[in-house]
Amino acid sequence: MTRRSIFPAIVTWLVLFFFYVPIILLVVNSFNLNSYGTAWKGFTLKWYTQLFVSDEGRAIWRSLYITVVVGALATLGSTILGTCAAFALHRYKSTLQNIHYTLIYTPLVLPEILIGISLLIFFASIHMPLGMTSIVLAHITFCVSYVTLAVLSRLQDFDMSVLEAARDLGASNWTTTWKVLVPIILPGILAGALLAFTLSIDDFVITFLVNGPGSTTLPIQIQGMIKRGRSMPLINSISSILLAITFLALLGSKLLMKTRPKK
Amino acid sequence: MKPSTPLRQRMLGEFAITLPSMIWLCIYFVLPTLIIFAIAFRSKGAYGGIGDTWTLNTLAELRNPDYPAIIWRTIWMSVICTLATLAISVPVAYHIARVSQWKRDILLLLTIIPFWTNLLIRIFAWRLVLHPQGMLRNLLISLHLIDPSTVFLGNPIAVLVVMIYTELPFAILPIYAAAEKFDFTLFEAAMDLGAGRLYAFFHVFLPGIREGLMSACLMIFIPLIGSYVIPDLVGGKDSQMIGNVIVRLALEQRNLPAAAAMSTVMFLIMSLPLLYYLKYTTAQHAKEVAK
Amino acid sequence: MEEFLKFDGVTKQFGHLKAVDDVTLTINRGEIFSILGPSGCGKTTLLRMLAGFEAPDTGRILLAGEDITDQAPNVRKINTVFQTYALFPHMTVRENIAFGLKLRKLPKATIDQEVDKMLAMIQMEAHADKKPAQLSGGQKQRSAIARALVLKPSVLLLDEPLAALDLKLRQRMSLELSLIHDEVGITFVYVTHDQNEAMSISDHIAVMQNGKIEQVGTPAEIYEAPKSSFVAAFIGDTNFFDGTITCVLDSEYCEVEVPDLSKKLICFNDKKLVQGDSVHLSIRPEKFSISLDRPAENPRQNVLPAKVEDIVYQGDHTRYWVSIAEDWRVAVTRQHNRFLLDQRRITWGDQVFISWQADDSFMLEQYREKDEDLLQMPPQNVGEEVPGAAVTAPEPSDTSVAPADGQATGQEEASQQ
Repeated sequence: MTRRSIFPAIVTWLVLFFFYVPIILLVVNSFNLNSYGTAWKGFTLKWYTQLFVSDEGRAIWRSLYITVVVGALATLGSTILGTCAAFALHRYKSTLQNIHYTLIYTPLVLPEILIGISLLIFFASIHMPLGMTSIVLAHITFCVSYVTLAVLSRLQDFDMSVLEAARDLGASNWTTTWKVLVPIILPGILAGALLAFTLSIDDFVITFLVNGPGSTTLPIQIQGMIKRGRSMPLINSISSILLAITFLALLGSKLLMKTRPKK
Repeated sequence: MKPSTPLRQRMLGEFAITLPSMIWLCIYFVLPTLIIFAIAFRSKGAYGGIGDTWTLNTLAELRNPDYPAIIWRTIWMSVICTLATLAISVPVAYHIARVSQWKRDILLLLTIIPFWTNLLIRIFAWRLVLHPQGMLRNLLISLHLIDPSTVFLGNPIAVLVVMIYTELPFAILPIYAAAEKFDFTLFEAAMDLGAGRLYAFFHVFLPGIREGLMSACLMIFIPLIGSYVIPDLVGGKDSQMIGNVIVRLALEQRNLPAAAAMSTVMFLIMSLPLLYYLKYTTAQHAKEVAK
Repeated sequence: MEEFLKFDGVTKQFGHLKAVDDVTLTINRGEIFSILGPSGCGKTTLLRMLAGFEAPDTGRILLAGEDITDQAPNVRKINTVFQTYALFPHMTVRENIAFGLKLRKLPKATIDQEVDKMLAMIQMEAHADKKPAQLSGGQKQRSAIARALVLKPSVLLLDEPLAALDLKLRQRMSLELSLIHDEVGITFVYVTHDQNEAMSISDHIAVMQNGKIEQVGTPAEIYEAPKSSFVAAFIGDTNFFDGTITCVLDSEYCEVEVPDLSKKLICFNDKKLVQGDSVHLSIRPEKFSISLDRPAENPRQNVLPAKVEDIVYQGDHTRYWVSIAEDWRVAVTRQHNRFLLDQRRITWGDQVFISWQADDSFMLEQYREKDEDLLQMPPQNVGEEVPGAAVTAPEPSDTSVAPADGQATGQEEASQQ
């Protein structure tokens, strides 16, 4: 009969195992007394307390603060630009919009390192000092495309005749926009903003290339700690905290919005 | 009212919401990308800056005997990683598309979570797994599956494994999207006409999800060519890729023109798939708009 | 005709739902056999078990005496025409038809020859190199049939093959299917929810409900002699009368007392029931005669006074809803075999007489009260278009079913047997 092959199921579960083994190991290791490697030496909360008392811990928190500030600014900028762009792409059909679309789409497919290196060279050639400003500018640039596509997909999924219906029922342009259009596409904008924020705080390569003194974000901080081989257990503990936050946020947004951000 | 006024207003409206993103991308994306190509022919400046004269010397600097090997490695590692990722993703996507709705939601969520987790954290987690003092190695040694002299970190295999790990969600999701739209009655039709399960899989299912496969393929191959962090953190000397060279040139040697030239090389390698992908997505967009 | 295909006590359960419940069924060689029932009755599951896509929990399926219950779909000599056609979208019509032949590793010349023959039969030579997306519904349908028939199966399964087509095309394709069947002469098993399709095309029909076969018979048997209230109400339309036999007149006829009716009814006693038995009668609307004047007395004829409540003109016939008691309406149809204007017109509110021969009622073996929901009800508003009328197009009327509470009242003793 059509007994389904169990091969795909096996592969799926192996892949999920593959996905989660490193992550689980990391969380377990954050409670490991062993400060080197993963051989179990006993349970401890030392690495979590050190996160708050050691100099290295303070540096981590500072980098996290910078990451969030950069993320917030980049999200704000890219959400405004991206929402406008999505409206333009959805509303108008012209050569200008074809070019616009290509322009929006290309940064998505170009490897980060090319975007990073070109921005580095660009900032160098206009003699702009590297730091928070350059990082935020770079982050806005690569986030715009994601926001645009998230909002655009929402716009395309939606039957826009409700706008005509609203006008037909006597609503003004302004009312139509704020009472009908915005509520409809708000989930799209929020999904885009969330995506932008995640990408911004997650970004390493571009940030690494355009960062300057005093603007160390968390990924840069972690990379530095790995490279210097210092205070590695602290990476376990901060990562576990961040993983928990990500997990809860993701679960929360799933339950709240019931919309899936598109990649 | 002149009939031209609404048209002009319309165009003004279009410009008002098009220009912000367009100008931004022109300044911070198009211009810098064009500058790369130009800078490759500029002389080095003092303190890691860019000089004032045009030169062809940079091209000569690329004649480093290590570079051809690195370029070649970048290509084959990206190709192998892409093929392996696709080979793993297709059965997974197939499985997710065939289970019940709630199982599907859970599996998709489980697939997406790693994608939402910081890349550096994931790479660090892999360093724990592959660590010389790590559990995996100790386990395998105690099972006598590997020689005690085997080292996991710092070789191309480790780089490949972690690259596959990070790219899998990007392949599974688009392939799943295609598999979900696939009409599985076709599968039954094929079996009804005498096909075995494998035959139906290769001759009916795979052609049916061709578009998803194509887009997944390009979506992971192009960024792989630009890999930097993974070879940097889990690879060794024999697993460096073009990205590592570019960063070394730019940040350690402060030789921006050489970094630009190397970037141009990278760009050339991926230009064909890139153009194909752009053409494809633009056509898709045009179709979507026409609806 | 010989026994060819047999379901022997087949049961299939999905979770708590018995999709197919102990079905035993015999299909003859070379006939068109329809499995007819409302959606969810288990007909598709039955077909999928025949194709091999589902395995029965218990029971056997025999093809020409051979047990094929555990045969994989790809080795059964049974092919399927899917409801959605399931043409491979990346292949041309020709490639689709050649698919199964290629799997048999036949030489290319033979394949081409067979495919050409099929293309000629379905008159699709001109479209052979088109992809399914470029075809019309009817062309897709024909390609799907050709793809299955080219393998020369012993049995062709058709799963609601006409459901995706519009009404006109459905009628044409149904005719074409009969012609193709005449040409290839193999057994067709045809699953549908549309009684018109089943009636017009089949040699035998099995009516299914809740996973069980309610009745098997020729279209005429199913229509004229329904065994259950479900079959009577699902195939065509009918009126139910429930009563008790008060007197057996002779070997052939009996008198039935029906609550709420002023008169006892005289009925043909085909079940050979005796006095005191309760009985459920089904009378088709077209069996009634309707007239303004009282018809001449006849000992073998029933006459009831009635009042016209509603009239729906339907071209070749007119349907009247007349009340024969408080809250009890029956449907009556009258064919327009004479020109309508010849007679005095019957109109709303008229006192009329309905009459029928004792032979025109039929005693049901099984009666379920909820089957009355299947009966057609008078439209709420005459002239208003009834949703779904164009889709179902049932015979003999075109109006859709809207359950009302009128007919069943006062008949609480209505029993389940």
